[in-house]
Amino acid sequence: MRRAVAPLLTLTVALVLADSAVVTLALPDILVSLHTTVGQVAWVLIAFNLVLGIVAVPTAVVFGRAQPRLLTAAGIAVFAGSSAWCAWAGSIEALVAARCLQACGGAFALIGCLELLVAEYGERRGVATWITAGVVGTAMGPVAGGLLTQAFSWQAIFVVQVPCAALAVPAALALHAVPELTPDRHRPALRPNLALALLSAALTAALFLLVLLLVEGWRRSPATAALAVSVVPLAALAARPLARLLLPPTEVEIASGCFLIAGGLVGLAILPSADLAWTIPPQALVGLGLGLTMDRLTSSAMQLRLPRVRHAAWTIGARHLGVVLGLAILTPVFTANLRDAQEPAQEAITSLVLDAPLQPEDKVAVAHALGDELTSQQGRIPDLHHAFAALDLEPQARPATDRLERDLDGQLTRAATRAFRDSFLLGAGLALLALLVVVLPRRRVTP
Amino acid sequence: MTGGSRVLLLPSLAVVLVSGVLGIQLAHGGGSFEPLRPADPCAVRDVTSQAGGIEGLTERLVLLGLDGAACRLHVSREALTLELAQAGTPSNAEIVALHAGLLDAVRRMKDAGTLPPASALVDEALDSADLNDFVKAAIRALPDSVIDAALKTDDVLTRTIDNLDLRALLADVDDRQSLDQQLDAAVTQAVRDSLTGRLRDLL
Repeated sequence: MRRAVAPLLTLTVALVLADSAVVTLALPDILVSLHTTVGQVAWVLIAFNLVLGIVAVPTAVVFGRAQPRLLTAAGIAVFAGSSAWCAWAGSIEALVAARCLQACGGAFALIGCLELLVAEYGERRGVATWITAGVVGTAMGPVAGGLLTQAFSWQAIFVVQVPCAALAVPAALALHAVPELTPDRHRPALRPNLALALLSAALTAALFLLVLLLVEGWRRSPATAALAVSVVPLAALAARPLARLLLPPTEVEIASGCFLIAGGLVGLAILPSADLAWTIPPQALVGLGLGLTMDRLTSSAMQLRLPRVRHAAWTIGARHLGVVLGLAILTPVFTANLRDAQEPAQEAITSLVLDAPLQPEDKVAVAHALGDELTSQQGRIPDLHHAFAALDLEPQARPATDRLERDLDGQLTRAATRAFRDSFLLGAGLALLALLVVVLPRRRVTP
Repeated sequence: MTGGSRVLLLPSLAVVLVSGVLGIQLAHGGGSFEPLRPADPCAVRDVTSQAGGIEGLTERLVLLGLDGAACRLHVSREALTLELAQAGTPSNAEIVALHAGLLDAVRRMKDAGTLPPASALVDEALDSADLNDFVKAAIRALPDSVIDAALKTDDVLTRTIDNLDLRALLADVDDRQSLDQQLDAAVTQAVRDSLTGRLRDLL
C-alpha cells in the first residue's frame, strides 16, 4: 500500500487537471442528452476552469493553517463525490453545479497533493512529479474523454474518476506532512504566470477547437478525434529528451516552445484538406511546445518562492483562468465565423445542385430535402446524409446523387474548416503574446 | 556544447520545424481550402440538361435565365436562387430581372443554335395539350417543314415568357400540377399568338 501512495496522489493531480478539458469531446453528447443549448453546455467546461482558477489561491491560504493530509483527503473526497454527481446529473444546471463543486474539491486536492508529494519525495522530486502530472493530465484530458465517450457515454468520463479518486483518499491520509508556516515572503512571479495564462488560452484553441473541428466540422467520431489529438501529448513527451539533448537556457526553451505552439496553431489554421494526416504535423509542433513550456513556466513561477503552495496556487489560477480567457475570446469569434460560413456554404451547395447531372425533377427533390435539413439544423453544421437517405429516386439516379452527396459534404467540410481559421490564428496570436512576455527585457532595478 | 550554440540550437530547430510544416502545407494548397466560389453570372456558361425535349429545354432556359437575372442584379446566380427559394415574395426588381434574364436566355440559345426546331417539340407538346384527338392527329400529320415554317421556337418561347406571371409561378414552385397548368396555358397562348402573327405577316 505504501508504495502506491505517491502514484495515487500523482494520478489525482493528473485527473484534476485533465478535467479542465476532459469534457470537450463529450459536449455534443451532453447537449443532446440534457436537452440544452450550445451556450449552456459551454458552461460545463467554463465553470470548472473558472472556479478552479478563482479558488486556487484562497485554498493555498487555508493550507497554511491546517493539517495538509486532512484537507487533501477531504478535497479528494469532495472531488470524487462531485464526479459521481456529474455522472448522474439529470439537468444542465445540476451538471454545472456539480462541476463547480468538483473544481472546489479539485483545488484542495491539487494543493494538498503538492504538499504530500514533497513530503514523500522531497522538495525537488516532489515538485517535479506534481508539475509533470499536471502537464500530462492537461494534454491527455481530451483524448481520454473522447475515448470514454465513444466507448461508453459522456457519463463514463466522470464514473471512472470516482474509484481513482476514492482510492487516493486513504493514500492522502497515510502521509504525514506539516503545514508550511513560511510567511508570505515573495510576490507572485508575474511573467511566468502571465505567460502560463496566455499559453493556456492558446492551448485551449489547439485542443478545444481542434476536437470541435474534427467532430462537428469533419464528422469524425469522438474516438477518432481522440486518437487524432493524442499527437499532442505524445509530442509533449518528446520535448523533455530534446531539451536534455540541446541544453538550452530556461528562457530560450520557453520562448522556443511558445514559438512552436504559435507555429502549430498557424498550421491548424491553414490545413490543405480535411485529411486527418494534415493535422498531425501542426499538432506535433503544439505538443512539442507544450512540453517545452508548461512545466518550465510552472517551475519558474515557483522557484525559490515561498510559501511554495501559495505560488503553486498562482500557477493553477493562471492556467485555469487562461483557459477561461481562451474560451471567452475564441468562442464568440468561432461562433460568428461559423454563422458567416453559412452563406458561402449554402451558395456552394446551390451551385452544385443546380449543375448536378440529374433530371430536373430529381434536382427539385434534392433541393427540397436539403432545404428542410438546413432549416432543421440551424446553428449547427448539418448532416446532409439524412436528406439524401430520405430521397425517393429512381435507381439509375443513385450514382449521381451519391456523387452529389460526397461533393456537398466536401463543401461543408471546407466551409467548417474555413470557419475555424480565425480562431486558430487568434490562438497563435496569444502564444506569440506569451513569447513576448518571456523575451521582453526586464526592467533594471536601480540600487 | 558552447554557450552560444546552447542558446541558438533550439530556437533554430523551432524555426526550421515551423517553416517546414507551414511551407509544406502552403505548397499543398493550405489557406485556400475554402468552399466553392460562385461563378460570375455575367460570364458565358455552357449549360446542359440530363432531360430531353421540353423539360430539358426548360431547364437550360431557367439556368441561363438565372444567370442573366443575377448579372442584372449584380449578385451570384446561387445567391439569387437562394433568395427566391427562401424569401416569401420576390421583389419587383427580381421579377423584372428574371423576365429579362429569360428573354436573354432565348436570344443566347438562338444565337448559339441550340434551340430545337418547333417540329421536335410538337409531339410532346400535343401529349399534354388540351385539344381533341382529331386536331392532335391532324397536327401530327403535318410535315416537319410546315410546322417549322409556321412556328419559330424562339418566337414561341419569347411569347411564353411574356405571357407568364412569374410572381405566381414562383409562388407555386412547389405545386407541380399548378406549375404545369400555368406553363401549358402560357405556351398554348404563345403558340396561338405566334400562328396569328405569322398569318398576319403572310397576309
